[in-house]
Amino acid sequence: SMAAHVRGCRCSSLFLSSFFAGGKKIVGVFYQAGEYADKNPDFVGCVEGALGIRDWLESNGHHYIVTDDKEGLNSELEKHIEDMHVLITTPFHPAYVTAERIKKAKNLELVLTAGIGSDHIDLLAAAAAGLTVAEVTGSNTVSVAEDQLMRILILLRNFLPGYQQVVKGEWNVAGIAHRAYDLEGKTVGTVGAGRIGRLLLQRLKPFNCNMLYHDRIRINPELEKEIGAKFEEDLDVMLPKCDVIVINTPLTEKTRGMFNKEKIAKMKKGVIIVNNARGAIMDTQAVADACSNGYIAGYGGDVWFPQPAPKDHPWRYMPNHAMTPHTSGTTIDAQLRYASGVKDMLDRYFKGEDFPVENYIVKEGELASQYK
Amino acid sequence: MHVLITTPFHPAYVTAERIKKAKNLELLLTAGIGSDHIDLPAAAAAGLTVAEVTGSNTVSVAEDELMRILILLRNFLPGYQQVVKGEWNVAGIAHRAYDLEGKTVGTVGAGRIGRLLLQRLKPFNCNLLYHDRLQINPELEKEIGAKFEEDLDAMLPKCDVIVINTPLTEKTRGMFNKEKIAKMKKGVIIVNNARGAIMDTQAVADACSSGHIAGYGGDVWFPQPAPKDHPWRYMPNHAMTPHISGTTIDAQLRYAAGVKDMLDRYFKGEDFPAENYIVKEGELASQYK
Repeated sequence: SMAAHVRGCRCSSLFLSSFFAGGKKIVGVFYQAGEYADKNPDFVGCVEGALGIRDWLESNGHHYIVTDDKEGLNSELEKHIEDMHVLITTPFHPAYVTAERIKKAKNLELVLTAGIGSDHIDLLAAAAAGLTVAEVTGSNTVSVAEDQLMRILILLRNFLPGYQQVVKGEWNVAGIAHRAYDLEGKTVGTVGAGRIGRLLLQRLKPFNCNMLYHDRIRINPELEKEIGAKFEEDLDVMLPKCDVIVINTPLTEKTRGMFNKEKIAKMKKGVIIVNNARGAIMDTQAVADACSNGYIAGYGGDVWFPQPAPKDHPWRYMPNHAMTPHTSGTTIDAQLRYASGVKDMLDRYFKGEDFPVENYIVKEGELASQYK
Repeated sequence: MHVLITTPFHPAYVTAERIKKAKNLELLLTAGIGSDHIDLPAAAAAGLTVAEVTGSNTVSVAEDELMRILILLRNFLPGYQQVVKGEWNVAGIAHRAYDLEGKTVGTVGAGRIGRLLLQRLKPFNCNLLYHDRLQINPELEKEIGAKFEEDLDAMLPKCDVIVINTPLTEKTRGMFNKEKIAKMKKGVIIVNNARGAIMDTQAVADACSSGHIAGYGGDVWFPQPAPKDHPWRYMPNHAMTPHISGTTIDAQLRYAAGVKDMLDRYFKGEDFPAENYIVKEGELASQYK
C-alpha cells in the first residue's frame, strides 16, 4: 500500500505532496562503505554518501533510493526498475543495465554514469528504447592517468617484492635488484590517446622515455610536438617496440577481448602492461598464462571482468601483478568532481536543458563516436 | 688493501678503527651515492681520498620517490592486499585515497635528486615548495615552478607531502624527531629515500601508529640491513622496501662504469671528476661540513 511504501522510505513530508506534483524517482547504485562511511565527510561516492545530493533531491520533491545490491532478480535494484525515471550507476560497482532490464524499465528516461565508462550498459538497447545515457566526462581523467604512471613505476622498479620482503622480516637486495629498471630511456606505448592517454603522456614527459601512441585519430601537430610522443598508425607495428604498454581505449564491441594470446605474442618478451581501462579488453586467461611463463614481466591495473572480481579470478594469483580493486577513478578528489557533475546533469534534466555535449554517450538513438 | 669499494645498498661501515688498521689504504670508492657509512673526518685525518659516482643514480632515486608519493597518496597497498587475499572492498581503499594534483609537496633539500624530483612532479600540477641551504638559480627555479622556503619550520606545516632529499651528516642526523614531525600537517605523507638515520626511528613509528603521519615510505633504514624486528616493518601505512632505489640494473651499469673510470684514473695518477670527491687532501665536501 502507499502508506506502507511511504513508511518504508527515507523521505521528508515534502515528498508526499511533490509525488503528485511531478517529482521523479531516482535510483543510485554505488559501493557500500560500511565501517568506512564515517571516516571522511568528503566520501560521497559510497552508498552512505549518496553523492552528497540526497538533501538537494528530496527538498526538490524527488524520491532517491540508493543501494549496492545490484545482482539478480531479487536484488534491491530490481525492485525499482519498473518505475524509476533515472538510474545513476558507477563503474566501481557497476549495475549491469541489460536489454532485459531496459525492457522492464517503463518509466526510465535517463541513465547517468557517476564516473567515466558506460560499457556496463547495453548501449544499443538503450538507444533503441529512446533513453539518454551520459557520463561525467573528464571527471576522473587525471586520477586515472596518475594511477597508470604509478603502476608503470611499481612494475618496472619491482617495488612489490621489496615491500613483501619488508613485511615478512626479510632483507635481500639482490632478490629485487636483479629485475628492477628505471623508467628513463624505456619505450612506452599507449593504446588510445584520448583524454586519459594524453594526460598520461604529459606526465611521462619529464621521465625522458621514448613515447609512442596509437589511436584512430592523430593528435593535432602542435600538441603532439609539445607532448613529444610519436604517432603509430599500425598497432601491430607499435607493440613489439614497447617496453611498456598502457591500455587507454574504452570497452566497445571492437575492443572487447582484443588483447588475446596472438596480440600479446606480438609484444616484446618481458613487456610491462598497465590496464586501468576495462578488464574485458584483455583475454583473462591469456594474460594469466603470459604472466606465468614470464612473457609478460608485469601486469597491473584496477579493472577486471566482471566486477566485483570473484575470489578465484586468476589475476589475483598470477605472478608479477600490481592489481587492485577498481579504485583509480574514485579517489576522494574524483568523487567530489563526479558527484558535482551528476548533480549538474540532474538539475538540467529537471529543467529540460541539454547536458554538456561531451557528456552524452547515447542521445536521441545515436551512440557517441567511440562506441560506434 | 689499497682500495676499498663500498656500496650504500649493503654498506661496509668504515669506522675510525678500521681506518687505523688499514695501513695500505689510499682510496675509498662508493659504488653509488652517499658516503655516510664512512667515518669521513677519520678518513680525512688519515689522508685518504673518498669519492662516489656522483649523478650515477640520481634519476633512479627521483623516479622512486615519485612512485612512493603516489603509492601512499592513492592508497595503493591496501588495494593490492585485498586482491591477494581474495577480497573486494572499494570503500576500504577509496575513503582515504587522493590524487596528487593540487596537493602541496615540499622537498627538504633540492640538490641533484630534489631537482630531478621537482621536474618530474611538474606536470602533476601540484604546489611545489623546496627548502635548501642554497636557492636554485632564478631561471631554473622559474622553469621548475617551485617556491623557495628559507625557513624549514615555516614550510613543514604547509605540506601534504614531504620528501627528504638531504645527505646524512652530523647536522641532519636525527633531525626529524618528535618535535619536528609535530610541525607537519596531521595526515602528512613522508617519503625518505635519503638515509634512515635522518629520522628518529621511534618517532616515525609512533606518528604512523597515531595517524599523524598518514603514510611513510622509503628504501632507507638504520642500520642496513634492517633487523627483523625494525619497527618500520610493522607500523601501519608504510611503503617501505629494502635499499634498492639506486641499484636498478640501469643504475648499476652507470655506477659500475663510474667506478671503473675512477680506478683507471687512480692507476694513472689522474684526478677524478671534481663533483665525485667527498674527501680530498684532508678536506670534506661542502655538504658534509
